[in-house]
Amino acid sequence: MATHEVPAAPVRRRDGVAVIDIGGDVNRSAEASLEAAWLEAVAGEPKAVVLSFAGAGYINSTGIALIVGLLARGRAAGIELRAYGLTPHYREIFEITRLADFMAINPDEDSAVRGAEGSSDV
Amino acid sequence: MLDEFEVVSTEGNERVAIDRVGAAVTSLGLPAKRLERLKTAVGEATMNAMEHGSEYRADRPVAIRVLTGDGAVRVQITDLGGARPDAEHEIPDLEAKLEGLQRPRGWGLFLIESMVDELRETSEGSQHTLERGLRLKEADDGDA
Repeated sequence: MATHEVPAAPVRRRDGVAVIDIGGDVNRSAEASLEAAWLEAVAGEPKAVVLSFAGAGYINSTGIALIVGLLARGRAAGIELRAYGLTPHYREIFEITRLADFMAINPDEDSAVRGAEGSSDV
Repeated sequence: MLDEFEVVSTEGNERVAIDRVGAAVTSLGLPAKRLERLKTAVGEATMNAMEHGSEYRADRPVAIRVLTGDGAVRVQITDLGGARPDAEHEIPDLEAKLEGLQRPRGWGLFLIESMVDELRETSEGSQHTLERGLRLKEADDGDA
């Protein structure tokens, strides 16, 4: 039997931007915590939502689908999504799935909050 | 053969397959980038087999064989779900997903195909096998 890390996704605010700290695995078990984090993040009408993967572990195809869902909701609400903290492998996956075409992938939190890597296709 | 084992069809158990295959290929010295690709392909294929083949039934485990030879590593993942319907092979289109024209899920096979050099799918009776091959070394392996 596999062991599962308990996912957590607390929300912080910096300069009008909501930062969701994604911890643990990004798979089906993360669905409830990501949903709660998204609702908390957008409740403050942020300029953008930053997904921090710095504390994330394993990401599978179900986790990719969860991120697609957040991206769709962001587009519908006119809220830009940005990301940082991806390992080179998961950055490659964001590129081949084209997630990187629709959300800016930044090297660190400061640039993600500033939106220094350019805006996404919202 | 480097390893042969079974995984109980329970959600999350693809991590068992990933860890075991990762350990089995340690002696091959795969570059980190290719090892990560192999692990993602194994995880997604095991998930696919457990969900669509074994329907997450504990009495229908997924069999995994790790082979090497001819400059490649091959992983065979076999379930008892028989041939797959074509509907599972929808090519994911992110733009369509964002527009609600495709479901958010459906990335598994796409990720598998993107991560490996060869992919072979065979069915015989109730047995369905997905074999993926990865060359041990590529000219562009900058992290070797």
